[in-house]
Amino acid sequence: MTSPDQIAAQILSTTSLSVSQTWLNAFLSSSSTAQRNIPASALAKTAIFRLLASDIRESLSKHRSCVLPVDIHDPTVKERRLQGSIPVQVLDIEDIGTSLWSQIEAIERVERGEAIRGREIVRTIAVGEDAEALENNRANNNPANGAASASGNSGYGPHRLILQDAAGTMVMGVEMQRIDGIALEKLAIGAKLLLRNPSVARGMVLLSPGSVNLLGGKIEALNKRWREGRKARLLEKTAGVERE
Amino acid sequence: MARKILCVAEKPAIARAVATHLSGGAFQTHAIRGNQYVKNYEFDFNFGGAWGTCSVTMTSVVGHLTGLDFDRQYKGWMSCPPGSLFEAPVQETVDKDKLPIADNIRNQAKYSKALFIWTDCDREGEHIGSEVRNQAKAGNARIEVKRAKFSNTESAHVRRAALEPVNLDEYQASAVAARIELDLRIGAAFTRLQTLQLQTVVAALKEKVISYGKLSIMIDISKRINKLGSCQFPTLGFVVDRYLRVQNFKPETFWGIKVILSREGKKVNFLWKRVHLFDRAVVTMMLERCLLAKQARVTKVNQKPTSKWRPLPLTTVDLQMMGSRFLRLDSQTIMKVAEALYTKGFISYPRTETDQFDKGIDLKKLVEKQYPDSSWGQYARELIDGKFRTPRSGRHNDKAHPPIHPVSWVSPNQLNANEKKVYEFVVRRFLACCSDDAKGQSTEIEIQYGDEFFHTNGLIVLERNYLDVYVYDKWESSQQLPNFERGELFEPTEANIFDGKTTAPSYLTEPELIGLMDANGIGTDATMAEHIAKIKEREYVAINERGGGRSSVQEFIPTRLGVALVEGYDNVVEGLPNSVSLSKPFLRKEMELRMLEICSGTKTRQEVVQQSLDMYREVFIHTQRRINMLKAACRKYLVEETGS
Repeated sequence: MTSPDQIAAQILSTTSLSVSQTWLNAFLSSSSTAQRNIPASALAKTAIFRLLASDIRESLSKHRSCVLPVDIHDPTVKERRLQGSIPVQVLDIEDIGTSLWSQIEAIERVERGEAIRGREIVRTIAVGEDAEALENNRANNNPANGAASASGNSGYGPHRLILQDAAGTMVMGVEMQRIDGIALEKLAIGAKLLLRNPSVARGMVLLSPGSVNLLGGKIEALNKRWREGRKARLLEKTAGVERE
Repeated sequence: MARKILCVAEKPAIARAVATHLSGGAFQTHAIRGNQYVKNYEFDFNFGGAWGTCSVTMTSVVGHLTGLDFDRQYKGWMSCPPGSLFEAPVQETVDKDKLPIADNIRNQAKYSKALFIWTDCDREGEHIGSEVRNQAKAGNARIEVKRAKFSNTESAHVRRAALEPVNLDEYQASAVAARIELDLRIGAAFTRLQTLQLQTVVAALKEKVISYGKLSIMIDISKRINKLGSCQFPTLGFVVDRYLRVQNFKPETFWGIKVILSREGKKVNFLWKRVHLFDRAVVTMMLERCLLAKQARVTKVNQKPTSKWRPLPLTTVDLQMMGSRFLRLDSQTIMKVAEALYTKGFISYPRTETDQFDKGIDLKKLVEKQYPDSSWGQYARELIDGKFRTPRSGRHNDKAHPPIHPVSWVSPNQLNANEKKVYEFVVRRFLACCSDDAKGQSTEIEIQYGDEFFHTNGLIVLERNYLDVYVYDKWESSQQLPNFERGELFEPTEANIFDGKTTAPSYLTEPELIGLMDANGIGTDATMAEHIAKIKEREYVAINERGGGRSSVQEFIPTRLGVALVEGYDNVVEGLPNSVSLSKPFLRKEMELRMLEICSGTKTRQEVVQQSLDMYREVFIHTQRRINMLKAACRKYLVEETGS
């Protein structure tokens, strides 16, 4: 029979996540007797799957070495580097490279069914020299804005995330360099990231491919609520002229 | 047997021009009874081949001869439920004012061995040709029918067309017939439904307005609702869509970082790769990390030859877009002027989708014709003396006409002000096509400063080439950049945060609207200007002047009625799967794609008419069922808002 320690070790070695004893015991006792004969590796796989769909405040160890310092958002600290691997879950994601308004327009295009093939509408067109410039010197054209909203997809970021650790401490993360998988459509709320020796500046965790390990997953209920409420939140934010 | 050939052109001016070229100027003119514009020109001409030398009567129609309408019992507004107009029988009859012209053709056909059709070579012209053929056959059932293929009225071109007759393209004629039937049925059904239903709303409005003493406004509105075209409506849709985007827009503040370096007495501005972000705290943090790094490193020094491409050969859409931008004429005026220039033999046929010149065309000869001009004659000479380049080829070819180009030179004092502008544009564009690209040297410097990247660009124009004649394009050298070396480190002179606000899009301009119609596949290039004029005429949109003086731009702003109709029709189909609003381009686009299928022979006229009617009938049924939504929208914009 597989011991909880064995499973915990398996999980740690494949994902670097330290699982909470209580959660693991609950997981093992919930799996039926029929599953007892399953090899440890398969059981660990199931556990990881459940883990990625869980709230890490319940499922992961709150040991000092795997949570954020409590004063992490201190804005007076210019720069510091955290040690080790710290698992966090995503509570919010925003594209700060694209205006709220164009994000709202993009959502409305989808609502009107214009994202469906054959139902796209061309709404803006470069007249004359602008078109020529695009055609001629595409490389010189910065894709940061505009182009993003035309397709109905989100922009290129960078993204600002709200992250939460196993102890419940929340912190803002800023995507300093493009990270594959961090995008409004791709990253679910509740997805798990592993921060590896990340730098923190003025209370913001600096995210880059080197400091982030994307584990994936989601918390279904949170994700659903977040998606349904997204347009309303954007609208509410634009109501005040400036956003900060 | 009579060796007489009857030639029929689309317009009197073309008939006269062709007669002049074929006869060498020696022809007799006869008036026809009942129409003061159409004349018969008589002369002899040697067609070669089977026909040989024949006596010719060259005459014309004035556009379409016939019209399509419902049978008498369906004509009254209350005669039938509007929905039955989708199936009600229709009849094609010669328009009353065209009867003398039709008589003339029938009479002339009696004495002629063959009918030679000289209508313009496009879909519409093919259909007019078929109408002419029907009349001629009614006069002489055994008459042989041929068609001239020509794209300008220059003498040699016309004579060659006369020697190489082709057959009438029945497919294209059928496509036009299908479009005419669809426009009639769909337009009439929706117009009747809408007018009968909205009368109650309008009546309410009438009372309201009377109390404010402005009766005339209201009467106008009830008249305006009258007609609804399946193409004008999506055109209006674009105007309303943009208007609402402008109205709803909310400005937002953004922040960015700019880096400045003073070197060799020059101030170099570096632009942030991220352009700007919408979070001040993040930008501040990023700037701080730049400053912490102290020194910036040059990561890229790219020097490369660059060029600004000469324009593509001119199409109708481009003529309309560029024309309304640079010549300050609206698209309809441009098309009228271009048509006049074509009729007089100065430019080629102005309705074309083709942006590639055929290999057979002698471009140098056309360039040479411009030698006498005092403005660009010298430039034309230089082209022939060695600077000539084969024009770029675009991706479009309508297989009927070449790109718009000058056919012969005309002295500016023979043209009126608008003709001068359009002719000059066509010539300059053509000469530009036959020139070399403008050449330059571009420099791109990229630096990394902390975690952030910045860049600056320099441009030196080395050879202007086509820009010398195509005065509408601008390409200027920038400030010369100081020297940078890859890998070098420097301390920027300044690094600051700047802020700004997003701005609303601007209202739609005419060139943009034409571009949108084209990009969304509604309206053929020939009809776009008409649809735009229609929505102005019906007061669905108004024109607003933005800016002043030379830089002023005309913008389209929808009227209340325009907004009400679009919103109303959008609401009617809201939430219905697979049902699209009339204000969107899709239905019309599909219809126009089917026209193309008729032209290529893959679908018949009957199939297309049935399929398109089925699509529109579905929307019609929804509209009928949810008519209250349309009424509510009209009440909202026309009654409540005007009242307050």
